Order: sequence, then C-alpha cells, then structure tokens
Amino acid sequence: MIHFSILIEQLINGLVLGSMYALVASGLTLIWGTMKMLNFAHGEFYMLGGFGLYFGIVSSHLPAWITLPLVLIIVFLIGVLLEKGLIAPLLGRPGWDVSAVVITLGIGIFIQNFAFKFWGGDFQNVPYMFEGTVKVFKMNLAWHRIYILAITLIVIIAFWQIMKRTRFGMAMRATAQDNEAATLMGIPYRRIYRITFGLSACLAALAGTALAPIFSVNPWMGSGPMIKAFIVVILGGLGSFSGAILGGLIMGLTESLSVLFLTSGWKDLTSFLLLILILVIRPSGLFGTKEW
Amino acid sequence: MLRVSDLHVYYGDAQVLWGINLNIAPGEVCTLIGANGGGKTTLLKTICRLLPTRKGSILLSGVDLKDREPHEILSLGLSMVPEGRRIFPSMTVEENLKIGAYIRRVWGKKDSQLEKNYKLFPRLEERRQQLAGTLSGGERQMLAIARALMSNPQILLLDEPSLGLAPKIVEHVMETVQAINQNGVTILLVEQNANIALRVSQRGYVIESGRIVMEGGSDALLNNQRIKEAYLGL
Amino acid sequence: MDDQFDHRSLKVLRIISPNLIGGIFIILILLPLLIRNEYYINVLTICLIFATLASTWNLMVGYTGILSFGHQAFYGLGAYFSALLTMKLHLSPWLGLPLGGLFAGLLSLAIGFPCLRLRIAPYVAIATLAFSEILLVICKNWVSLTRGEMGLWGIPTFSDLVLLNLIPISFSKGAKIPYYYVMLTIFMVTMVFIYFQMNSKVGLALRSIREDQDAASSLGVNITRYKLTAFFTSSFFAGVTGSFYAHYIMILAPDSVFSVGEMVEIVAITLVGGIGTFLGPTLGAFALIIGLELLRGLKDYRLMIYGAMLVMVILLMPHGILAGIYQIIFKLKGAIGYGDK
Repeated sequence: MIHFSILIEQLINGLVLGSMYALVASGLTLIWGTMKMLNFAHGEFYMLGGFGLYFGIVSSHLPAWITLPLVLIIVFLIGVLLEKGLIAPLLGRPGWDVSAVVITLGIGIFIQNFAFKFWGGDFQNVPYMFEGTVKVFKMNLAWHRIYILAITLIVIIAFWQIMKRTRFGMAMRATAQDNEAATLMGIPYRRIYRITFGLSACLAALAGTALAPIFSVNPWMGSGPMIKAFIVVILGGLGSFSGAILGGLIMGLTESLSVLFLTSGWKDLTSFLLLILILVIRPSGLFGTKEW
Repeated sequence: MLRVSDLHVYYGDAQVLWGINLNIAPGEVCTLIGANGGGKTTLLKTICRLLPTRKGSILLSGVDLKDREPHEILSLGLSMVPEGRRIFPSMTVEENLKIGAYIRRVWGKKDSQLEKNYKLFPRLEERRQQLAGTLSGGERQMLAIARALMSNPQILLLDEPSLGLAPKIVEHVMETVQAINQNGVTILLVEQNANIALRVSQRGYVIESGRIVMEGGSDALLNNQRIKEAYLGL
Repeated sequence: MDDQFDHRSLKVLRIISPNLIGGIFIILILLPLLIRNEYYINVLTICLIFATLASTWNLMVGYTGILSFGHQAFYGLGAYFSALLTMKLHLSPWLGLPLGGLFAGLLSLAIGFPCLRLRIAPYVAIATLAFSEILLVICKNWVSLTRGEMGLWGIPTFSDLVLLNLIPISFSKGAKIPYYYVMLTIFMVTMVFIYFQMNSKVGLALRSIREDQDAASSLGVNITRYKLTAFFTSSFFAGVTGSFYAHYIMILAPDSVFSVGEMVEIVAITLVGGIGTFLGPTLGAFALIIGLELLRGLKDYRLMIYGAMLVMVILLMPHGILAGIYQIIFKLKGAIGYGDK
C-alpha cells in the first residue's frame, strides 16, 4: 500500500501545482468573463514571466524583490499594448469569437518562436527565491512551495476584494455582465478590457515566475500550462473566478495523486481525461452558466 | 435642453431615421410615442451615442454630442433607463445602484446619493442585499430608474418602462416618474403605451417608420382623431 | 471595415466553374514535365499535402463553422496507423492509404460527438486542441507501439507498379516524381469530393449551418448528422494525406505530425488563401510554402512568420487573398458594364 507520508507529500505537491494552475486559469477566465474571448497566447505571458525572471536575476544580477515587480509591470504593459494594437480593432467586427481565438493563436506562436530564435532553446535555470526547507509534521517542506501557496492566497484575496469593493472591480463586473448597460453608466468598457487583459497577462507571468525555479525556463514552457489552464477554466465554468481557483486545485491534486499510480509521462493524460469527463457530464463546468 | 436637428441614422447601408427634429425644454416631461419598429429605441440609442449618426446634430444644453464617446454622455448630465431595464443580474441591488454613480464626479458622494434614492424607492432599500437577478419585473424597473438617477442627471431618458409590467405597477412607475420630474429632472419618455404616456407628459411627438409625423401638447394629442384610432385603440 | 468589403463578390465564390478546377488540375498534372528538379518537385509535393490538409480543414471550419484546432490529429493518426500497419502486419502501403483515412475518420466520429454539442467556437477549439494533445502524449509515451520520441524509421514505401500494363513506375528515394503524382491524385480526389459535397443538398445545408445554427435547426436541418458528415470527410482525407506522408518521408516522429505548429500552418494557409472558399486553401498553400522557399533566409523563422501572418491576415485581410482577387474581378466586371450577376 502507499506510504502515508508519500500520500501527504503528493497532496501538498498537488496543492502547490493546483494553485499555480488556478493562478494561470484565473487570468483566462477573467478575460472570458469580460471580453468573451479565449486568449490562446496566454501561455506565452507565463513564459515571458519566466524569462523575465531569468534575465533579471541571472543575466542582470538584480535581486529578486526588484525583478519580480519589474517583470510583472513589463508583462502588464505588453499585454495592454497587444490588446490595444491587435485585439481591440477586432471588437466591433463580426465573427469575434473566431477572430479573437485565431489572432491570439498567431500572437502566441510568434512570441514563442521569437523567444526560441532570439533567446535560445536551452533550458535555463533560475535560482529559488527562498532556499531551504522547513520541517512540518516530520516532513521537509521547501520554503519556495510555501511561497507559492502564499502568493496564490494573496492574489485570490486581493482580487476578491478588488472586485467586491473597488470602483474598478465593480466596473469590471458590470462590463462583464452587460457592456452596453455599463456604457450607460459612464464606464469606458474598452479601457476596462485593456486593463483586464493586462492583469490577466500579469497573473500568468506571476505563475511563470513562481514555477521557473522548479521547472526551468525555455520558450515552450507556456504551452503545457496553457492547455491545462483551458481545461481548468472549462472545469470551473467559463467566466467564474472561484471556479478557476477550485478547478485549478482539483486539477493539481488529481495530477499529483495520479503519479502514485502512473508513470510520470502519462500523468499529463489525467487532465485530458478530466476534460472529457466534464464535456460529457457537465459542459458548463462547476459554476458556469448555460452559455457553453 | 435637448435639441435634435435633422438627424439621419443608418444601420449599415439601410436608413432607419429620416430628418428627426426634437426639442425638449428644461423641466418638462416630453413623450415620444409610436408603434413597434417605428424607430423609438433607435433614436434613444443614437442620442446616447450607442449608434453613430451620419447627418444632423444632437445638442445637450448647447453641447454637440456627435463627437462624444458613448461613456462620456452620462458626465454631461444625460442618463438613460434602457429598454428591458438591463440591470446587472449578478450584482446586488445596492451594487447596481453604486455602479450608477461610477463617474468620478459623483463616485465620492455615492453614499448620500444612495440615501436619497432609498427614500424615493423604499422597496429597493428593503432588498438592498438581494441579487438583482431575483427581483420581479416591477422591482427591476424601479432599480433601473434609481440606478439612472444615481449620477444626478439633468435629463432622464426612459425607453418603454411599461413593457411587460402589470397596469398597477405601470401606474406606480409613472407616479415615480412624475415625482422625479418634480425634483427638477427633465424627462423624455419613450413609450408604446400611448395612453399613459400622454397622460403623464406635457408635450409629445409621434414617430412612424423613422419619421416624426406629429407633435404637440399631450392633451391635444390625446384628443386627436388619428392618434385615437392608431394608438389609443378607440 | 467590413462595410467596405463588397459581399456580393462572395456570391461568385460559391459556384466555382468546373472548367476552372479542371484547368488547375491539368496545370498541376503537367507541372513535373516543366520542372524536372527533384528538390522543387518535393516542394510542390509538400504544397499538395498542405493544400489537402487546408482544404479539408476549410471544409470543417469554413463551411460548417466548427472551429477545430485538432486537425493535425487526423493527419497524425493516418500517418501512424498506416506506418504501423505496413511495418508490423506487412500490408501494402497502397492499402495503408485508405485504411489510414478510415481509421482517422472513425476516430473523428468518436470525438465529433461530444464536440458537436458545443456551440461556442472557443469551446470546440479547446476540446479539439486537447484531443490532439492527448494523442501527442499517447504517441510519445506508448513506446512499445510507437517508439515514442525516437520515432519510426524505415517505413516501407509504395510498391512499384505498372501503369496500364505498359509504364513501369518505381518508388525510390531518388525519384520524387511518382510520389508527386500519388499525392496529386489524393489531392484531386479530395477536391472533387469536397466540390460535390458543397454543391449538393448537403452542401447547402452545411452552408446554412455556418450562417446561423439556430435558424438552420428550426428549418429542420439535421445539424448533427451533417456536421458529422463534414467531420468524417474532412478527417478521412486528412488521414489519407497522413498515410501518404508516412510512406513518402519514411520516417515518423510525434512532433512532426501532432504538434500545434502543424495546426498553425494549416490555419495560416487557409486564412491567407481565403477561408470558406473552394480554392482559397490551395492558393494559400502554394503561395506560403513556395514563398518561404524563395525567401531562403527566412526559413529559419518559419513559425514566427506563420504567426505574424495569422495576425496580419485577421486584422487586414480576414477574407484572404482569394476574396480580394474576386473583389477586383467583380469590380472590373462592373466597370466594363458586365451587369449584376
């Protein structure tokens, strides 16, 4: 039978992995909720976060506490610029749901191969932000993993409060539900879209910076997490922030625990099987609405 | 207060409004009546800049709205209660009202605005934490109107507020509209229900197939033979 | 911007003259007689491969509106199925072609079913992409069957045949021309099939589905059945193309057929040529692949260019080159006073 401590270790791994999936997925679901589009370049923002950390800490020898906010700001700006230049023009036109998907696919592939061509295809190592471990219940728990759980918690609470209490957050929720009515309230919905897109990129980049030390940095590091994030978004329900969080945790735990029964190469399959399950049983996801 | 001159509006290549002329004086209740498809909602949407204009002008207290962005209209003092209410279903009553005060000018004073509106709409205060999506039709209409008032507008546009509501509730809505007018807000009431619209207003316009075909005092319109036959079912 | 695009010109696209198609076929048949260089024949063969893949993808997306990002899966399924069949069971590669197509087609029905219930384009995109990724994972990990990332080597190629009992044709690495003609045959059969589907009762139904699913269903069109038909046809021929590829290149690796890069190439080609049109994808394939060949130095940046092309086409030329050409023709006809069609 499986040893208890290994089970606990995998559970914690699952929570850590899950919170990262939740972070990446929350950005995706945010964009879907407001703009009604799926960003197929989302994985590349994750990758840019990772590379940003690499360039900051390893190449430029900047301390982590400067690099991290710098990377997040830069990715936010990249996101905003991309939305303004390439996505916003498509908003008024017919065929939005197809054009947005295809153009972000193109943007994603471009960024991915740009990184490959100009930054190299090598797997770069990035040092842990918090070294060492701490003893918890007779097990060694890496500080970095606690950091990951902590930032996820902070982000969740921050977003929850922003959406509930701030002027911007309420405007975002209104825009998501009815952008024409929101316009009547004086809300500049296109500007809201822009900022939301930038924030979503930020969330992906944050996850990228958190996982870079564990999985190392390379141009293709974003593809896997992005597809998994899509599945999480469907699992949680398109547009539901809490769904993305819960879905991410479920996905992380499922994958982690599956390692106990399958070899690691096959563990990616569990997320896809989850997808098939959802699509067949309940396509609207955990908290989604009817419009799937 | 609101002057629309020679307005021509198109959906793509198809013209839907021809040479609309409208004049609304400050403080009055003016109505625009007409059958379905006559262009009432199109006109309101165009005034709010949700639709573009090809020709003509829209002056609000002398300011031409033609080059303004749709989200700027509220700051200029023009607020609309859209057709179908369009409240935000996943937000509470109170949140719906608060977002009505989004523009910077009033956001800081939203709490006092909230109190004022709760006095005018006590039923909404009772339900302040309830999700707007669970409200009845009449309550939603009240919410939509209250929300539109949160920014302290000078002129309020109402697009078919009586739609889908029982007669008793329609009466209540119209009483509220009159009360709002007495507080100094100019009203443009667009309605399919000509009877009640003409009783509540001082002046009226009639729109048919995208053109203004008649205008005048509401009492005169009420007694007009053609209006009686076409819109009052008499 | 869409107001500037004359939608009347799109009507011309719908009824392609069979003479035009025949003319193009003849040109393609005669090409190797003019271009004897083996390298260029290879390029043209690749053009035909992608023309077929893009045309079949176009059938799915452009005509029925199913936004599939998993088309490369059927390509790969056909390739691996035929390769393994010929390697393990010693069947003839000629048999592998239709069998690979059938395998791909049947599997498409399996995923078609859950996917077709979904009405939102992004949902279908994710589901189909995920399906392709599943296959990639399986292919990489089921080493005992597929040799994983090491790939399959030494896939048997087409056996020699004698045409009409007179002309011996041998297939070997050096002589590429016979391969070109095999792929051309596959291409022509596919296009003829697509042509008849599009202009039949089925085709009109499919086009009505693209316009408005709800309206079509209220008219009594059995949507699911028609969509599955499109799915099957599309995947079948993609599978046949995959089988061809396996016996042409004789080496097969998971990433060369199942990766997203293939998908991006297919999408870019279709959009550049003109989505929803009959000849658009073919035009796009030849234009992009030959274009990249001519700009030798840019080949390294192939995927970057395809990505950028996708972006630019969507922003500037959403209906593709072909639509632009037809617009010009239409305007010219109007200028000469040809009259309204």
